[in-house]
Amino acid sequence: MSQPIQTHTFSNGFRVVLEPMPWLASVSFALLLPVGATTDPKGQSGSATVLNDWLYRGAGDLSSQALSNELDGVGVRRGGGAGKEYMTFSASLLAESLAPTLELYAAIVRRPHLDEGEFEGARTLAQQELESLQDSPTQQLFEALSGQYFASPHGNSSYGTHDGLGAMTPATLRSGYERRFSPRGAVLSVAGGVSWESVKAIAEKLFADWQGAGTDLPKVSVHAEGQAHLEQATQQVQIGVAYEAVMPGAQGWYENALALGVLNGGMGARLFSEVREKRGLVYSVAAVSRAIRGFGYTLAYAGTTTERADETLEVLLGELRRLSEGVSEEELERARTGLLSKLVMQGESSGARASALARDIFLLGEPRTVDEIKAALTALSLDDVNSYLSKHYTPKFTVLTLGSKPLAKAALA
Amino acid sequence: MSLKFQETTLDNGLKIIGEHNPQAQSAAAGYFVNTGARDETSDVAGVSHFLEHMMFKGTARRTPEDINREFDELGANYNAYTSEERTVYYGAVLPERGEKLLDLLTDMMRPSLRQSDFDIEKNVILEEIAMYEDKPNFRVFEIGNERFYNGHPLGNSILGSTDSIKALEREQMQAYFEKRYAPNNMLLTLAGNYDWDVVLNQVTGLTQDWQPSETTRTYPDLKSQDGVQSLNDKTLARVHTALFAPGVSAQDDLRYAAAILASCIGDSSGSRLYWSLIDKGLADSASLSHDSADGVGSFVGYVSSAPENFEKVLAIYKEVLLEVEENGLDSEEWARAQRKLATSLTLRGETPFGRLMSLGASYLYNKDYQSVQDVINAVFNTSLDEATKVLANKPFSKLYTLSMRPE
Repeated sequence: MSQPIQTHTFSNGFRVVLEPMPWLASVSFALLLPVGATTDPKGQSGSATVLNDWLYRGAGDLSSQALSNELDGVGVRRGGGAGKEYMTFSASLLAESLAPTLELYAAIVRRPHLDEGEFEGARTLAQQELESLQDSPTQQLFEALSGQYFASPHGNSSYGTHDGLGAMTPATLRSGYERRFSPRGAVLSVAGGVSWESVKAIAEKLFADWQGAGTDLPKVSVHAEGQAHLEQATQQVQIGVAYEAVMPGAQGWYENALALGVLNGGMGARLFSEVREKRGLVYSVAAVSRAIRGFGYTLAYAGTTTERADETLEVLLGELRRLSEGVSEEELERARTGLLSKLVMQGESSGARASALARDIFLLGEPRTVDEIKAALTALSLDDVNSYLSKHYTPKFTVLTLGSKPLAKAALA
Repeated sequence: MSLKFQETTLDNGLKIIGEHNPQAQSAAAGYFVNTGARDETSDVAGVSHFLEHMMFKGTARRTPEDINREFDELGANYNAYTSEERTVYYGAVLPERGEKLLDLLTDMMRPSLRQSDFDIEKNVILEEIAMYEDKPNFRVFEIGNERFYNGHPLGNSILGSTDSIKALEREQMQAYFEKRYAPNNMLLTLAGNYDWDVVLNQVTGLTQDWQPSETTRTYPDLKSQDGVQSLNDKTLARVHTALFAPGVSAQDDLRYAAAILASCIGDSSGSRLYWSLIDKGLADSASLSHDSADGVGSFVGYVSSAPENFEKVLAIYKEVLLEVEENGLDSEEWARAQRKLATSLTLRGETPFGRLMSLGASYLYNKDYQSVQDVINAVFNTSLDEATKVLANKPFSKLYTLSMRPE
């Protein structure tokens, strides 16, 4: 069912990719640049986020407001922002407006004004967002857990720090822009009702003459296992767990995806069933796979009231550990069915496909078709998955809790 | 796309509608029950939502584990939600599994409601309430909504309170179920790639014992609260403000104008609030949308600001509203908002799952069918004059704001 993916790399390193979805009236794209929190300069934590906002505040021959009006004028629904390793500029729109819209985005990333007068607005906004994190305990937990888990700059939060945001100036950010923004590693992914000829021609016109070296991404390293607590007056204790899993694209990646589906695939999966359905300990419990370039890990979460926190963490870790004993045929088939249907349904949405393509290229170097992923998931037998689990699944947990008091006992004996 | 609308009513009163799309790669189905928090009396506050959880807890033919397992075996993208005025159970699957999905969803609509499951699930609901207690941007709406609606049932809390949930008994839930989940108060909606004749045959068989009953909903006049109120919570870092103003109902022809108007004022990009507050770094969130409900509607806004400039932020927010109320909008910003809305509608309409929700909800309100293209045309045909009509009622002069602040 899925259409052949087209891709081209210009001599400056800029990559363009299209998944044609000719039956759709819409088109979505994601412009991915490898500029994120991991490469924020020392003492300037949060600069990718502030830069990302500042870029929209005037570009090419358009002022901030004129640029926004142009995008809204063709009905563009905007998305994106700065994350750990990269920032994206994503948009969904009616297919006939793709060319003028990409012209605007090319101006945003290549010819931003970076006006001094617009800097303070962008910085203050980032400071406000950082403040707001404190009123959102779950999100705060995950930002902190990331910092506790990674020894490398991958622990940096894209929200930045008070000191980092306070220290940056228009001049430091401008020089950061000059140094960090480049066609190297940049990807424009497009999915929807447009032709390859037109997409390639637009990309060539807008990006093929872009020059610049960019910056290298840091190596990943993590801390040894451990448990910590953040004290904050909340109703629920927030429980977060991180542990290493398979590197994206490496042997065992799909096995791990299926195994995680057994844990977290649906309401019949182990976590929901053991923690919520049988014991009523939580409303929310989950485990998700996370990938950064060259490294994969799993994040697990549960939120519960203080008096049930010890039992919840114990049951949660117990289920995460028990996976090494293997899964049943039935469990595997349910997990597989879930992943396969999710793939087909994502394949119906131009936005979901555009972001998946850009992410694949960033993580794996190549895009994958829906059919290719389906084939890989279908090919694995119960033995494949269980032999992966018994040999390679040895989770070492980093645990962080956030709440009004620490847990009664240490869960990591 | 060759879309076809289909509808029928079974003898027991159950309505079935569908928008068939033979090219779709999936099929979506959902039971839309015309009941929610607004249909509750205060002694059972939160029962609609608690019942929604209990509907997954087994039937005469299935244990709770069976239900969860079968959904997973179908590879279904599925869930349920409860709002002030409806409770919806839905799923999307590959076309060849549509029949099984429908068997499961239909069977679930006649639940066992066992005492032991009720007792365990009560804890889950109490955890859900505790979870929202930690979300001030949710809590401020929960309290603000009740105060704005000022005795109107749309002010009822969906979750209920810890006390109301603790006190709720299984028999009260059973009685509520029997009254509200009558087939004539339910709508089965289908979207995507399904077979209409197979569905009719199957659902007619599965629901032949369902008994219709008399169900009613009250539509009192809204005498909304206005003015400025605040609550203190020392644990907060920010000031969270919810804003409410009277709007138009889901049956009102002016509902498109109200939605476009709200987008001009408070969309996440390029709106008046964006330029006045977010662009300047005064607030990290400042929005306004329009919520048209059954028989009544409201404008709903939110702003988050630092405690030290909260008064300034709120003053600017109100100035923006009153400026529009007094002088209206200009035609260019109107056209931009229309286009953004059209894109969003197109995107949501492209998948059966996305289509299901608007199809069912709008049919519940208006008992008629509109294709995505009909809605987009209606949006583009809505003129600024209609916004003037919405503003003639001076909604923003009746503004109610509730702030939760650290001191």
